[in-house]
Amino acid sequence: MIEQTYKSVISMYRPKLVALEHNLTAAVFPFMKIFPAELCLRRAREEGWAQPQTLIVETSSGNMALGLALVCNLSGYKLTIVSDYSCDGFLRRRLEDLGTRVEIVPGPAARGGYQQARLDKLGEICSESPDHFWINQYDNPANPGAYGFFAAQLIENLGQIDCLVASVGSGGSACGTSTYLRELFPEMRTIGVDTFGSVLFGQPDQARKLRGLGNSVLPKNLDHRVFDEVHWVSAAEAYKATRVLHQGTTLFCGGTSGAAWMVARHWVKKNPRAKVVCIFPDDGYRYVDSIYSDEYLWKENLWLPELTEAPVEVSRPLDAGPPWSCMQWGRRAYSEVVSPTLSATA
Amino acid sequence: MHRIAHSVKGWLALSDKWPLRTGQGKSIAQHGELFQGQIEDDNNQRRRCLVSLPCNAMYSHAIFHPDTSGSVRMNPAHKRKAVQVVELTLSHLNASEIGGEVSIDSCVPEAKGCGSSTADCIAAAIAAADAVDRALSEEELAHLVVKAEVASDNFMFRRAVLFAHREGVVLEDYARKFPRLEILGIDTAPNAHVETLKYPPAVYTWKQMQSFCTLTGALRRAVGKGDIHLLGRIATASANINQEFLPKPLFPEIRELSERTGALGVAVAHSGTVLSILLDPNDELLEFKIDQLRAGLNELGISQILRFQT
Repeated sequence: MIEQTYKSVISMYRPKLVALEHNLTAAVFPFMKIFPAELCLRRAREEGWAQPQTLIVETSSGNMALGLALVCNLSGYKLTIVSDYSCDGFLRRRLEDLGTRVEIVPGPAARGGYQQARLDKLGEICSESPDHFWINQYDNPANPGAYGFFAAQLIENLGQIDCLVASVGSGGSACGTSTYLRELFPEMRTIGVDTFGSVLFGQPDQARKLRGLGNSVLPKNLDHRVFDEVHWVSAAEAYKATRVLHQGTTLFCGGTSGAAWMVARHWVKKNPRAKVVCIFPDDGYRYVDSIYSDEYLWKENLWLPELTEAPVEVSRPLDAGPPWSCMQWGRRAYSEVVSPTLSATA
Repeated sequence: MHRIAHSVKGWLALSDKWPLRTGQGKSIAQHGELFQGQIEDDNNQRRRCLVSLPCNAMYSHAIFHPDTSGSVRMNPAHKRKAVQVVELTLSHLNASEIGGEVSIDSCVPEAKGCGSSTADCIAAAIAAADAVDRALSEEELAHLVVKAEVASDNFMFRRAVLFAHREGVVLEDYARKFPRLEILGIDTAPNAHVETLKYPPAVYTWKQMQSFCTLTGALRRAVGKGDIHLLGRIATASANINQEFLPKPLFPEIRELSERTGALGVAVAHSGTVLSILLDPNDELLEFKIDQLRAGLNELGISQILRFQT
């Protein structure tokens, strides 16, 4: 694969900037994670952590896996992805067709659930192949670091940005994009969107239906001091928003996009003169049988007749809903906000 | 001003071939950079580049008296790069057999990051070409000057460009002149002198490269829209990054003063000690802000302040 082809394929995935309302712009990515995947691998190559024959490994059920599969295919690396039941057939077929080895863990570990099971499997694979490199998207600085090009594109097209709204999973896109933008606009507001039962912003770990945002671990890449405001939305609300977005604008996106949009739309109403960007991390194809299926939503108890009007404002993460809640985080460190007696799974 | 004696025959031979006359050339200088950094081009090559801040209050003026001597002499004698550039220019125009005396009169302070050497070279090249009734394009000028200088500034371009200063090549042409700015220029270390090439080029980290990508995107917007507020922020952000490599004394204090006063931003010299505080010429509080800045700078021990415009 020659360099020019590599570059032009990757650049295909650059976002389109779509004006939704006169001061709200959506950055619509086909799937955003190809960019942190690309930089994580490039940095490994530059630093000599990965040679051409090194086995690349990662645990992911979603777009990071796909991003790595694409980049490894283009640059000739062997890739093994460890996943679990949440790896849908659509994704698995794409991964395997790209030459990725997909290892699905059969069940949760006795302690630590599926998270631990995946890490255990990862450990096994790493001992089998001593020449391996673990991408480690939650702690690898090349994840948030990859968004310089995106900040450039935003400023080039929009000028000064007053507010960035992003769903938070690894902290990569939210913290990365915000940090680059704030080198020029330190006063820019950053709003993170999380879900109930996610430990990212101080709730206790619980089973979550909303994929793509929220987490059971605190990634190093999540710098809490980046955030002015945090919102929590339920899976049902995010999916409803995703459908309303599709029905109202024809933009066909995943659940994390709906989540970001509902929050951004609300913020824009309250701040009509601000220039706001919301990030739509992936398109809707993977969710045709879930988010875009009324039958599925009914069955899973995720159907909502209407989108929640506005969030309930709380002063502590533990007081957050459901339904949709928000809090002024005030660019504070995690320890300043979350009580030390709350045990978040680390 | 004296002409070197020459043989009538020699002169007639030359002036048969060339329309000879006394050539004149002038160049402005600069006062720091709006941006300095490195980008990755389409071939993944790292290219060092900058956007100079033109300063029309400083200039070099060159006069070239061609003669039959076959050699180029310089007055003042130490401006050797200017001699080289005259020779390169004449060679470029297939006029190597022409010699002469170049005299350069300059008010650009040397070794301060004002591009005195580049200003001399540009003026000398223009004068040399003028002596044979030719004009050089900005691209030709850039090429000739960098050949003589190794690293040059980009104010031979009247429009704003992203310039690979060690290669003499325009990386990005913003195709517009600089928007109008009001500027206060100072020297952060009046007793220090900086020799451009003696400094090892900064080794930027991958993260800083990403930041430069953001800043060059912002530059396209700022120059394209004439957004001087954004331009000011870009200058300050670039200065912040480069402060790690070539720290300017009093930079943090001046940046803070600039913020406090409501100036647009601070641009610094990429290899030098000068610094420029950028202001909006249409600011109704302009004179008030300038007074505040003068007072603040005086408090920092800086009294020599040059006021100019782009």
